[in-house]
Amino acid sequence: MSRKLTVVLLAMLVLVGAMGLKTVVVTHGDNSLIMANGGAPPPPSPWKNGGAPPPPSPWK
Amino acid sequence: MPGPFQYLVWFLCTLLEVSVVVCSAARGSFRRYLSLNVYMFAACFVNLARFKILFTYGYLSPEYGYFYYYSDLLLTIGLYCALMGLYSRVFEEMGAGKYVRLGAVLLLLGTAAFSFAIVQQSSSRLAGHFVVDSRVMGHLVLEASQNLYFVGLVLTYVLWGAMLKLRETRTRLIQLVLALGLYFSVFAASYALRNLYTSLDGVWPYLIPISGCLLPLAWTYAFWRIPEDARITPSRLAVAPR
Repeated sequence: MSRKLTVVLLAMLVLVGAMGLKTVVVTHGDNSLIMANGGAPPPPSPWKNGGAPPPPSPWK
Repeated sequence: MPGPFQYLVWFLCTLLEVSVVVCSAARGSFRRYLSLNVYMFAACFVNLARFKILFTYGYLSPEYGYFYYYSDLLLTIGLYCALMGLYSRVFEEMGAGKYVRLGAVLLLLGTAAFSFAIVQQSSSRLAGHFVVDSRVMGHLVLEASQNLYFVGLVLTYVLWGAMLKLRETRTRLIQLVLALGLYFSVFAASYALRNLYTSLDGVWPYLIPISGCLLPLAWTYAFWRIPEDARITPSRLAVAPR
């Protein structure tokens, strides 16, 4: 049982570490995406509404 | 729009992915490294499908966009499974396969739940209530793909640390893990540098696709040139004073 709990703890630690790393990287980024599978050219995201440039955040 | 250079690198990357599977099968390692080979085979198949969709519908079409991002999530899950296959190989002599599988499933579920929570929060904040539509699904796919990428990055470093600690000597396994670490690191570094040096905008469209060829190139080399029974002793990074 203790081994399983250790596995759960390690999994949670890795998850927290990875999400912390992602937050650090993406916060200072330009909202572009890291696409790391194959050499295909990444298309613009189809979920963006229109091609207008995003305005500065009003909550700053 | 992608230019001739991007198409050339894309074609080269697909060829290298095929060469990983062919070299692995030729050296009799296909079943031993099944998850790696299945991932490379899937990546090759997805590249061909992307190529077909790109030429049928066009670069800016929603069809190519949807297929690209949805297939990217599936490939990232495939890469995660390949990494877990490497974990199983490293820890097989300790009989820890059951715990590796438990940790892998937990981490995958945790990443999915975390991604869903982010999307739900941002969607509720914008719309006032949470409704699942194609835009929300798309956001979830992107978020899960990015999160799983970072989980893979951290897990690769953890695996390399464990291999150093266990004094792993199997050269091919070391080469496979180091190649994966290099691949993840190059993408993360290029992302960070792209944000630091925005004046070099003309360089990144060339550098990033080339980075995509690193993993299949290194794995092809590992399967073709390094025999399964080759052994090496990794240098100790630090010597603790006694």
